Amino acid sequence: MRRRVVITGIGLVAPHGDTPDAVFEALLHGRSAIAQWDKDGAHSAVVARAPFDATRWFSRLQLAGVDRVSQIAVAAAEMARTDAGLDSLDEATGIYIGTGMGGAASNEEAYRGYYSSGRIPPLTVPAFMLNAPAAHIAMRANLHGPVFTYSIACASSAVALAEAAKAIAYGEIDRALAGGSEALLTPGVLSAWQAMRTLASPAAEDPSRSCRPFSTDRTGLVLGEGAAVLMLEARELAQARGARIYAEFAGSGVSCDASHLTKPDASGQVRALATALRNSALLPSDIGYCNAHGTATLIGDPVECDALARVWGDALPGLAVSSTKSMHGHLLGAAGALEAAITVMALHKRALPPNMHCDKLDPACNVTLIREPGHAAPQLRAAISNSFAFGGTNAVLVFKHE
Amino acid sequence: MNTLNELKQLIHDMFDIDVAKLKNDAPLADYGIDSLSLAELLFSVEDHFHVDFPDDRQDVNTLTSLAALIDELRALHPA
Repeated sequence: MRRRVVITGIGLVAPHGDTPDAVFEALLHGRSAIAQWDKDGAHSAVVARAPFDATRWFSRLQLAGVDRVSQIAVAAAEMARTDAGLDSLDEATGIYIGTGMGGAASNEEAYRGYYSSGRIPPLTVPAFMLNAPAAHIAMRANLHGPVFTYSIACASSAVALAEAAKAIAYGEIDRALAGGSEALLTPGVLSAWQAMRTLASPAAEDPSRSCRPFSTDRTGLVLGEGAAVLMLEARELAQARGARIYAEFAGSGVSCDASHLTKPDASGQVRALATALRNSALLPSDIGYCNAHGTATLIGDPVECDALARVWGDALPGLAVSSTKSMHGHLLGAAGALEAAITVMALHKRALPPNMHCDKLDPACNVTLIREPGHAAPQLRAAISNSFAFGGTNAVLVFKHE
Repeated sequence: MNTLNELKQLIHDMFDIDVAKLKNDAPLADYGIDSLSLAELLFSVEDHFHVDFPDDRQDVNTLTSLAALIDELRALHPA
């Protein structure tokens, strides 16, 4: 017997802020959090940074050896629990966290030290290890159940959410804190991404418009940082305690292209989309909104539209699509979780966040793109969130009204 | 400033622990300094006092013993 799973809490440390309502409101109005960032004067880039005050969550002593990626994960997890109306959690609650790179800043500081003075901070290893964010959440909340880390590039936190929902559905656990965290806006990492030639050129007249998914003039992705954690809960438990339910986690689909490390493949994405629909017992015509992967790379955007067209067929015009990365950038390992939170909020508020900065829709991206802010969707019943990763893993999450 | 007071000031600057609360002979664990934060402290002490702790001399557990070790190492290699 498969149990139904619902979302009762959302915790965010996002480029648009740290409360679900404020973040969704900003997105709905089409406000971009992308800006020019001049780090140390030497490195300039267009990124989406997440405002975060560590002293609100940690004492100086507690911060010893805790990288920013873990700090924001702990904060997001705490806010998810509070938002769910839970003062504490049963110690068997699960933790499922995705991250692409772990403690990038600690890594970079260590290398900088090694190649300059030869001295490396002693807590470098526990600071950068990929499972540090999940472990810090566990210690903070005193949870002793399954504590897992998923590192699957841009699909990390979408897979983390899918796995957490399955564990609840099959009765292994009753609740989970699931999501992702990424904090890699460091000079070295930004340079590595620039070297790959996948980053957007800064829009000269207005840097906040640098990310333009599905537009003919798109130039690439914009890196962002942040953490997003959802409180997932067995539906009967949430109902029994009278919890506010944002939406139901209806199902998920995961596949791997197994064809190229970085070039996306429509047939692989089709597999994940079709599996997700089957797994959630929904038809294409049931889905009113797709929060697209839409990174704004030249190759990626049309492939995603092709995959949607192949699965949706005649129902494609009824599927409203937007990539909110146009406003919050690409959070990589945390992207799936932030976008899941946004998709859940879209269902909860019955409104669709727009795909900004697409002045001229690429004819190869033939989908119903939401290009105007403040789009109401009173009929919205179900929605999906796509995350397609380097490495070829595709993850699709399906949410619906409970 | 003597070594002990300088050490207390450093701990305050690093971990935000009130200098007045730091007792010379109390175990460092009493202030919440565990094996991880102690490693960070020793790293900063090396930088601050220009000393190099030998691997077999890191078992300090009070401020008095740490200050004594710093003085001993400084005497061995005067700046």
